[in-house]
Amino acid sequence: MATVAERPGAVPEQVRLAERRRRRRRSALRRQGIALLFMSPWIIGFSAFYVYPMAASLYFSFTRYDILSDPVWVGLSNYQFMFTGDGLFWQSVRNTLWIIAFLVPLQVAFGIGSAIVLTRVKRGLSLYRTIFFLPTMVPLVAAALGWLFLLNPAGPINRFLHLFHLPEPLWFYDPHWTKPGLLLLGLWMVGQTMILFLAALLDVPSHLYEAAEIEGAGPWQRFRHVTLPMISPVIFFSVVIGVINGFKYFTEAFVISQSGDQTGLDNPIGYPQDSLRFFTSHLYQQGFEAFHMGYAAALSWILFVVIMACTLVLIRGSRRWVHYQGGFR
Amino acid sequence: MRRRLIALVAVALLAAACTAGGGDTSGPAATIDPNANHEPMTLTVWSNFSARELKVTTGVLESIKQKYPWMTVKHVGGKDDAAIQRSINGGTPPDMAISFTPSFAARYCQTGAFQDLNKYLQADKIDKASVWPAGMFTYTQHNNVQCALPMLTDAYGLYYNVDLLGKKGFSQPPKTLSELADMAKKLTEYNADGSIKVAGFMPILGFYSGNTVNTYGHAYGAQWYDNAGKPSLSTDPNWAKMLQWQKSLVDAIGYDKLQKFAAKMGGGDSEWSASHGFETGKIAMMLDGEWRTAFIAADKSKVNYATAFPPTADDHTDLYGSGQVGGTILGIPKGAKHPAESWLLLKYMATDVGALTTLARGLRNVPSTNETLEKTDLAADPKFKTFIDLVKNPKSSYKPLVPIGDVDEQMFGTLGQKWQAGQVPDLQAALRQLDSQIAKQLQLG
Amino acid sequence: MTRRRPVPPAIRRRRLLLSVANHSVAIALSIAFLVPFVFILATSLMTNEQALSQSLWPHPFRWSNFHDVFTAFPFLRYTLNSFTYAVLATVGVVLSGVPVAYALSRMRWRGRQAAFVLVLSTLMLPPQVTIVPLYVIFVRLHWIGTLKPLIIPLFFGDAFTIFLLRQFFMTIPQELSDAARVDGASELQILLRVIVPLAKPAIAAVALFQFLYSWNDFFNPLLYAGNNPDSWTLAVALTQLTTLSRGVLWNLQMAGALLFTLPVIILFFFAQKVFVQGVTLTGVKG
Repeated sequence: MATVAERPGAVPEQVRLAERRRRRRRSALRRQGIALLFMSPWIIGFSAFYVYPMAASLYFSFTRYDILSDPVWVGLSNYQFMFTGDGLFWQSVRNTLWIIAFLVPLQVAFGIGSAIVLTRVKRGLSLYRTIFFLPTMVPLVAAALGWLFLLNPAGPINRFLHLFHLPEPLWFYDPHWTKPGLLLLGLWMVGQTMILFLAALLDVPSHLYEAAEIEGAGPWQRFRHVTLPMISPVIFFSVVIGVINGFKYFTEAFVISQSGDQTGLDNPIGYPQDSLRFFTSHLYQQGFEAFHMGYAAALSWILFVVIMACTLVLIRGSRRWVHYQGGFR
Repeated sequence: MRRRLIALVAVALLAAACTAGGGDTSGPAATIDPNANHEPMTLTVWSNFSARELKVTTGVLESIKQKYPWMTVKHVGGKDDAAIQRSINGGTPPDMAISFTPSFAARYCQTGAFQDLNKYLQADKIDKASVWPAGMFTYTQHNNVQCALPMLTDAYGLYYNVDLLGKKGFSQPPKTLSELADMAKKLTEYNADGSIKVAGFMPILGFYSGNTVNTYGHAYGAQWYDNAGKPSLSTDPNWAKMLQWQKSLVDAIGYDKLQKFAAKMGGGDSEWSASHGFETGKIAMMLDGEWRTAFIAADKSKVNYATAFPPTADDHTDLYGSGQVGGTILGIPKGAKHPAESWLLLKYMATDVGALTTLARGLRNVPSTNETLEKTDLAADPKFKTFIDLVKNPKSSYKPLVPIGDVDEQMFGTLGQKWQAGQVPDLQAALRQLDSQIAKQLQLG
Repeated sequence: MTRRRPVPPAIRRRRLLLSVANHSVAIALSIAFLVPFVFILATSLMTNEQALSQSLWPHPFRWSNFHDVFTAFPFLRYTLNSFTYAVLATVGVVLSGVPVAYALSRMRWRGRQAAFVLVLSTLMLPPQVTIVPLYVIFVRLHWIGTLKPLIIPLFFGDAFTIFLLRQFFMTIPQELSDAARVDGASELQILLRVIVPLAKPAIAAVALFQFLYSWNDFFNPLLYAGNNPDSWTLAVALTQLTTLSRGVLWNLQMAGALLFTLPVIILFFFAQKVFVQGVTLTGVKG
């Protein structure tokens, strides 16, 4: 770098080369040092908040531990209890799969639907888009409380149903209706998904539609054979992200159980009747209410494995769709 | 890079194994001379009291100042056992905890979440056997660890609305469960649209705090655990009988109707407000604790009521006069910063005759020490005397304490709620499964 | 768009009808999305008796509910906590994220690629996996019941921020840094004088994301600060109002929820552009 100022021929060639090499090595070392200095916050954070906790969590998962006394090695019995002894674990798995099985497809369908509506209006697009997106901006806790009110047995939605002499479910008080209630909340907050689909739909080259129209394709056929294949990467992305988020589903259910269970006496997790006990709720309750920290660590490792599997699917899949998006004919 | 990473992980693992332990701080009781000159200090007390009860208790807690002028008490209400447990495990416990749920006592004693008070009792030469009736120790100690002491005791009795009963020609409260069911059906009134206007008796499990498998189970003398300590929910036929009785009453009125009735009343939370179903004349009979007498007075409810012993199963009439009893317990959490001072406060709240009498009067709870039980003037009120008699009855009991706290009750409660909703086709199989699940929970600890 | 050919009347009519149909669907959907807001707002202006009754419209309007929330509960305290968390967390991720992203994108050193892969992997790690040991660490540090566990870790790098900033830093032409280097600037000077001024939109985006994330965050404040009402954020406190007041107070609860939402909505309208930029940066088209 500073070699410009050197006088050529003043020192023998070999010495000069060695000098330069040394200098380069020193500057590389210096650069390495500076880079590590810049990296240092992350290095500390990574070891203290990721590497150590990951390892410790694995260790805890083979112990019985409640913080108050030392962990006791119990081998695989936490995992064994999870799969063979803990009915609530399976309840939480069933609930989680339920919400994934219904919420993810519904969100994708509703997201595509509302995005299509947006592509078809020309005037007022930005206003509609803002309105459709607005609920997404509401903090989850506020949204959950809002829907707890909207769906309370004497609330506005039931009054609306009453007008049309439709059945009035007890929603968040009736274990059969709690999860459908959450679906409504999830669909209201579809904005994020919708924006993704809107972008994807606007990206579909219009000449493809024109070509399809010339070949006599009706609206449904155009959607089926042009739109769907073109936006399928986004659908795939939304589904996998939806599944991952489904396994982490917590806040909505916790808030609604907490405020819905008004006896204030028992444990609200999953109220009513564990119908809102999701995987992460169970993890929270086992770890931080019952303080079965060892068991909670085992639960968290299972969650980790499942989510990592989903992420792998996402990465594998994304390789494929990035490829064919680049090479479409 | 990779080798370094592996080394890092290995170090972390090692550190995990080494640093995970908690500092154990059990030693001899660090007592202090309360009369010595003392710096002013503040003790934080947590309880799950609210509103009026919170005020009454705070008043008594603050009266410690008369005894120890240097001591100030900060009383925080609305803290249930989950919150107390969280604060202890989280390392930020209060100086003293008041719990309504004796179910947790075994857990507190076993895990050391509440400190063993025996050392303090011995240091202060208190002979606990002479201070408290024997029954109190069934829910304050576990394996000889006395980690809690009773503050006041409770009993569940039958409350009935004299006017509503009279309207249908009843002058006496039910003594058996079949009488109760019979009267409940006759006392239930409906609106024009078929919804419930007045419920004779709310049988729904998980509604108010008297609607539990515990309170109903006592009427059958049903046993939670057998002599070997194994869960006996499926082997003791009384549980199934109790659930059958409960379900038949629910079905006679209609599960959906009862749920809607409960939800429109404001749910279970109306229990602690003036919109309480019994206080507003919407429920004719219920099982509830003696504190309700104070709530009825404080809420200025006009309900004309009386109390009686809880009805028993038809084949267990020998149990009449007894009921589910329990109590409020006091403990010093592990990690409390001033345990010696906490003990002074705890001792005052658990044994001081003046403090206990004021509390018992204010909260309308049954006092706990032998001395105060003798002296109390609450027995003069016939409505209240029912509960004092219930506490004194040797057949009254609390459910056996287990180290898993109230997990067994929770699980049974959930089964009960599914059952009443008609979602349990094979009750015996479900109870068997519950037994095995509770047994496995006991293993997990 | 600008086709000049005259459109036959039949087609024009069909287009008009189609447009009417499209707009009706869009309006219907808009109503569905907006109606919850209307009901929540209406309830927040009712007396509690009215909120529990069958009426749909407040009569009289009780604007004082928005004031009562602050007097009935220590709402100011909660608001302050939420702001403390959101602001300090934002400062933390930016301060720690900028140099790390710089080292990952604009410096050549051994292990850079591996470090980047590790950053990416933490991005995908579900946070639930580490909470048990983290909780134990924070217990030992006596941080439970305070806001510290929420804030301090963010001063040690946040994967999402680092990733986003790195992506942006990569787009800045290398010549700019080289020119500064020739002038004898140190890496720190290049970062502060060349990169940061150019990366302002990206920094604004990550700051906005972190602020919103922390403001909305429920799980972490519940877990680490839930013990201590003095440390509750709005998100945690709102879920406790029912317990605190021993009964539902729909009107106050809805007023509180609206007050909690308001800053987010305001930010959304003022920072829409920043938002869109940020979304584009993540690589997810939007």
